[in-house]
Amino acid sequence: MLVFPPGCLLGWVLARREFRGRSLLDTFVSLPLVLPPTAVGYILLRLFALDGPLGPRVLGFDLDLLLTWRGATLASAVMALPLVAQTARVAFREVDPRLEGIARTLGLSPLRTFATVTLPLAGRGLCAAAVLGFGRALGEFGATVIVAGNIPGRTQTLALAIFSDIQAGRDAEAMRLLALTVALAFAVIYGAEILLLRRRGRP
Amino acid sequence: MSAAGQENGAGVSDGLQLDVSVPLDRFSLRVRWETSEPSLGVFGPSGAGKTTLIETIAGLRRGATGLIRWRGRTWLDTARGMRLPPERRGVGYVPQDSLLFPHRDVTGNLLAGRRRAAGAGRPAPPVERVLEVLELAPLRRRDVGTLSGGERKRVALGRALCSGAGLLLLDEPLAGLDLPLRRRILSYLLRVRDEFAVPTLVVSHDAVEIRLLSRELIVLSGGTLAARGRPEEVLARPEIFPLARAEGFENILSGAVTAIADGNAVVSIAPELTLTVPGRGLAPGDRVSVGLRAEDLILAVQPPAGLSAQIDLPGTLRELRDADSEEGPVVLAIVELGLDRLPVVAAITRQAVRRLDLRPGMAVHLIGKTQACRLLALSS
Repeated sequence: MLVFPPGCLLGWVLARREFRGRSLLDTFVSLPLVLPPTAVGYILLRLFALDGPLGPRVLGFDLDLLLTWRGATLASAVMALPLVAQTARVAFREVDPRLEGIARTLGLSPLRTFATVTLPLAGRGLCAAAVLGFGRALGEFGATVIVAGNIPGRTQTLALAIFSDIQAGRDAEAMRLLALTVALAFAVIYGAEILLLRRRGRP
Repeated sequence: MSAAGQENGAGVSDGLQLDVSVPLDRFSLRVRWETSEPSLGVFGPSGAGKTTLIETIAGLRRGATGLIRWRGRTWLDTARGMRLPPERRGVGYVPQDSLLFPHRDVTGNLLAGRRRAAGAGRPAPPVERVLEVLELAPLRRRDVGTLSGGERKRVALGRALCSGAGLLLLDEPLAGLDLPLRRRILSYLLRVRDEFAVPTLVVSHDAVEIRLLSRELIVLSGGTLAARGRPEEVLARPEIFPLARAEGFENILSGAVTAIADGNAVVSIAPELTLTVPGRGLAPGDRVSVGLRAEDLILAVQPPAGLSAQIDLPGTLRELRDADSEEGPVVLAIVELGLDRLPVVAAITRQAVRRLDLRPGMAVHLIGKTQACRLLALSS
């Protein structure tokens, strides 16, 4: 969920702004989509390692990401970012820029235009972006396990916990987590669906 | 803002001052135009750069360079690095395809620019009055997706009016509507002009529409200004007329219905000048505008006798102009009617000019058929 605002922002930038290196940024953002999650995890690990470019030695303080829940969050976010950004980008692309132009001529500032025209019109796509991002983060395994490890009670995500339980033969535990995961996923997707239906059905 | 407000364009501080160029794909739009007339028209064929011009004035064209001033305020002055953003220009842009906000209902669209109206220095028309004049009250709660083309146009117009716009920019306001609907929307537009007195710039490729909705006209062709003047006069110029004719040129005569006789209406267009037009749906007192094509008018050098034609308009032949049409050469006979010297164009042949020995200054009669009259606008 953390990645949603920056993901949307990236999507908007990619959809609406013309600048040099846009394709490069586009490729860079999409990279985690194509790379094996373990490779992404390893990149993060090296970045934040003790002597990595973003590690404590270079920065002078510790971001405290490795083997912590923050690291698990970061790994999930990085893996979800391309899905969120690309979906958001499509959503913004589908908003007719001329509608934004009309809003401006009616006296709305760029920011207000974004809030009252662009966002509502991109709403459905942004909702889809959020669901996709959530799904990806929930199921993320490879990058998380490398960055945050699989420490029960600290960095163990649902996906990791299910894996551990199956490995250890704790079938009952695994089933319990499975039910929890299904319930969570169901709630999110169903909630999004209801939200979309309500918006569409508005008089 | 106050600095910009104090600058005056010499002589046109109450009007529009344009000197802009905009690069386009195939050519560059380049227009110089200074005027103080509040009812402006831009005429030209499709692809002449009309919409580009209107969007430039609205501030939606980033590539535009030059100077735009409206009523003493500078909107664009690229030489001095000044470009007023669209939200501060106070225009009401009504695009050809209406562009209503699909996520709001009719009321939501009408009120989209209301925030500005509240803060504007000039009084904005009350929303209730706009609803009334445009007959939008029954549509208030409707989803804009369910509106017809004509309804959409009215909502877009209402939205611009409600925002307290100081200059309405109308892009092809009647395009894509059938004749009865055109007549209705036209009536709404004329009503808006009379009721709210907002200065208007209309862009159109339709010679009739532009003639009815503007009092000063420029003609755009290939991105440059080809002519400028009063619409009835400009459209009859030999170099413009072929284009005007291709875009449905008609003489337009306006007046009040004085009587209905045998299903026809008698319209008084000036003292001593009447027109007999098909009368369906008309009642005495109605104000109408009637279109008569230049090809449908006959010129006579003496009062007609023994003709079935019902329309006889005496006038003075002002000018004979050779012009070319797609079908071949024509002579445009420009006849002035009445004390206002309203110019009316009749397209006749060269043989006729020779046979009747027509010369400017002669007293002539314009003869027309009732059935050739088209009712263009009606207000009760």
